Amino acid sequence: MNETPHLTPQEIIDLYRAEFGTGIHDARITERGEGVRKTKGYNIWIRVDRKLLKPAIKKLMDIRFPHFAVIAGNDLGDEIELLYILSVFYGTKFGEYMITFGIRLPKTDLTVPTITDLIPGALLSEREKQEFFGITVTDIPDGRRLFLPDDFPQGVYPWRKDETGIKPEMVRELWAIDRPKDRPVPPVPEKKPVQEVPAAEGMKKKTGGATE
Amino acid sequence: MNGDTKKKSTPYTVPIGPVHPALKEPVMFTFQMEGEVVRSVDFAPGNTHRGIEWMGMRRNPVQIVHLTDRICGICGVVHSLSFARAVEQIAEIEVPPRADYIRTILHELERMQSHLLWAGVAAHELGFDSLLFLAWRVREQSMDLIENLTGNRVNYGIVQIGGVRRDISDEQRPIIEQGLSYYRGLLDQMKTVFLDDSTIRMRCRGHGLLSYRDAQILCAVGPTARASGVAMDVRHDYPYCAYGDLNVQPVIPPQEFGGPQGDVYDRIIVRLLEIAQSIDIIQQCMDNMPAGEILWEKKYPKLLSVLKKAQGEAIGRVEAPRGECMHYVRMDGNDAPATWKVKASSYSNLMSWIPMIKGEQLADIPIIVASIDPCMSCTDRVTVIREGSAANLTKEELTRLSREKTRRLSQC
Amino acid sequence: MLTDIILTVAGAVLVGIFGIIVAFFLMGIDRIVTARMQARIGPPLIQPLTDMRKLFTKENVVPANAIPWLFNMAPVVALASAITILLYIPVGGFPPVLSGGGDLILVMYLLTLPALALVAGGFSSGSPYATVGAQREMVTMIAYEFPLAVVIIAIAWKLTVSGIPLPFMLASVQANPVWGLVGPLGIIGILILFFVLLIVTPAELSRIPFDTPEAETELAGGVLVEYSGKNLALFTLTQGVKTVVMASLVVALFIPYRLSAILPTPAILQPVLDLLFYLVLVVLVSFIAVSLIRVSMARFRINQVVSAYWMYLSLVGIAGMLLIMADHILGVV
Repeated sequence: MNETPHLTPQEIIDLYRAEFGTGIHDARITERGEGVRKTKGYNIWIRVDRKLLKPAIKKLMDIRFPHFAVIAGNDLGDEIELLYILSVFYGTKFGEYMITFGIRLPKTDLTVPTITDLIPGALLSEREKQEFFGITVTDIPDGRRLFLPDDFPQGVYPWRKDETGIKPEMVRELWAIDRPKDRPVPPVPEKKPVQEVPAAEGMKKKTGGATE
Repeated sequence: MNGDTKKKSTPYTVPIGPVHPALKEPVMFTFQMEGEVVRSVDFAPGNTHRGIEWMGMRRNPVQIVHLTDRICGICGVVHSLSFARAVEQIAEIEVPPRADYIRTILHELERMQSHLLWAGVAAHELGFDSLLFLAWRVREQSMDLIENLTGNRVNYGIVQIGGVRRDISDEQRPIIEQGLSYYRGLLDQMKTVFLDDSTIRMRCRGHGLLSYRDAQILCAVGPTARASGVAMDVRHDYPYCAYGDLNVQPVIPPQEFGGPQGDVYDRIIVRLLEIAQSIDIIQQCMDNMPAGEILWEKKYPKLLSVLKKAQGEAIGRVEAPRGECMHYVRMDGNDAPATWKVKASSYSNLMSWIPMIKGEQLADIPIIVASIDPCMSCTDRVTVIREGSAANLTKEELTRLSREKTRRLSQC
Repeated sequence: MLTDIILTVAGAVLVGIFGIIVAFFLMGIDRIVTARMQARIGPPLIQPLTDMRKLFTKENVVPANAIPWLFNMAPVVALASAITILLYIPVGGFPPVLSGGGDLILVMYLLTLPALALVAGGFSSGSPYATVGAQREMVTMIAYEFPLAVVIIAIAWKLTVSGIPLPFMLASVQANPVWGLVGPLGIIGILILFFVLLIVTPAELSRIPFDTPEAETELAGGVLVEYSGKNLALFTLTQGVKTVVMASLVVALFIPYRLSAILPTPAILQPVLDLLFYLVLVVLVSFIAVSLIRVSMARFRINQVVSAYWMYLSLVGIAGMLLIMADHILGVV
């Protein structure tokens, strides 16, 4: 592994701008300090062209082997934005940066190449994005569902905010459940909500008695 | 899992899970075995996915903080802390330094209890039940401390956006000191019982190997990665809470134990040494705790109105007992966040099972599986097979059945 | 002749009942002692009996792909053979109910029967866990057989060369404690053999660290995984009776003393005293061989079980045997 010296966040962005030019739609740095000394931690956000996803990650691997955290995603209406969240320079005292590559996929063409050939550990995250956003990861080594049960309806993608998201009838409110009507009579009679009324009345009487 | 091609021939299939004594939480393993040796492994998590992120995207951040407490039964602070940190960054909320210190203290207490719990579980997986009982008895002290500081043993509900909900009073200081000295006195003993025991060494040394390279490319985090020599610890790499003021070094198996080899034994070493490190961090935090407020804004309506206006995206990241825990939040000026993605530490660690288990014996599966301290926090359905037909029991039915049973029991 | 048969049958029934009672007692003691050593309080002494009563009220579930007759027969065979061994072993200071010229050899073979029944039951239950468990049980059996044989043969050989008739008969072993027959070198040898037999005991009983066939966290109970209700109760009982058998065997081979022979007691009290002394010895042996080893160790891997017995314990056993031989040869010279 070739070790590049530790870079500042701005230097990383400059490197990317130099390499990919207009392929970088947006690049910014956020910083945050906590505690007494407010030592700063940096996050780098780079929005790239969807074609540049793999080159961008490869570029990062050339700088220093990154740690891949997860792929997050936003449903932006007509597009789905995938955010590849990585971190680089771990092992340096307070020198690690989070680097997020964002790509946008129009809902008419939801395909993205797999990055598992670069970082095999991304497999779980890619499988999860397939089932939760309905995207297609091309060349994924294992395209099975990950978290969703096998009998989960096809074509429903829980994190989508359009008509393919979770439908209202799939949502069940635990507090509102009642006994199904087609069941045999339970061994012990159901508690009627009415039963609470006498108790409430009793309470009233009691308090009434106290005030009298 | 995939197809009927795997009939009863060599290699034969041994399923472990979704529910099995070796697994503390449900996950489905399918092993291809040759005799006692595992040839290949496949696993399917999320037999039990609750859709917490979906629920969160319909709630406001203050409600979500309490939802995050319930993502995991044992990491009560890390999820709420990383979520709160993400939201604080979006809304540009400045957390009072005192709150940062209290967060750190609880964070470390949680690490202690989590590692001790793990130590007990690991001993149990090895069939060493005496150690399980002893480790869990020792763990009680940290649980008592947490209960004293937060009011709860689990689901602490201590983190709030903009700070913490309870201060550490002067009366509580001696209690914490006492707890810390209790652990200081026990550390050497624990090292002896875990690391000098010949049966434990026999079972753990050289088993469940995860090479440095594998740990890197499979994105392992926390003690799993550190045991393989990957010096990665969010507390060291990326300042947050009070860690920016402290000097926390990632714990790598030291030379006296033969340096990092990436086996189960190293994972025990790392966790034991991290308990010592946590004691040290808590002590430093106690000594240097600044005075002042513990919340950015006490009034909920005001806090909520600020959060409602907030727009942007941020990543909240902490070092959980099991490794990096990360929450991505995106807010677009509504009550509820537009996106909330939780990346728990085990999410990153699961992939390391494959190289660890391959070629090992069936007998080592439980301890190897447990060695990354997996935390599959989710539940959504149960399948009941009766007279050959499978029926899924939904949450409502389960709730109804449990209520019926309670009613039945209360009548007898 | 007829009275002989009736007496033997009555004795067998009595020993069976006695063995089961002692089994419950030992199981209860083991659970309490283990709990205390693990910083727990533990169940009451009567708990194993309560468990058993509960199990007997439960339904016997036979898995769909099991072989029912074999599956149901295995626990009965296991318990019956375990009680049969008890008939050949001097229990409670009394001479064994049955005896012949080759008791020791017979006992050694009978000891494999409950294990074989367990293996048959495991294979017939049609579960991968049970199959793996049964394979491990067989391997374990083969592993501990050799050290066990070494112990028995060494003692019988010593008795033979000491000119005692019927050296393979337990009654003669009982009547002639080996300790008295050897010199100082031989004492060390016998101590070693004693130790070997104590270590063989947990494997014979499938207890930690040699509980690989059942291995709760790996195989969810292994051979027993599909057993429930009465069948499981019978197997649990077998385990208890086997504990009595092994403890009695250790006592008979190495501590065959009777308190009444040392303490002057009225004739009527002698059996009571012997019985009590025997119980104390059995509890002691089971405490060391079962409880103490169990709480202080982690479970072995099956290959470690095999190497522990085939390599180390066998070597130790042979060393003990050689010491006894050397002692004898030196004594003769």
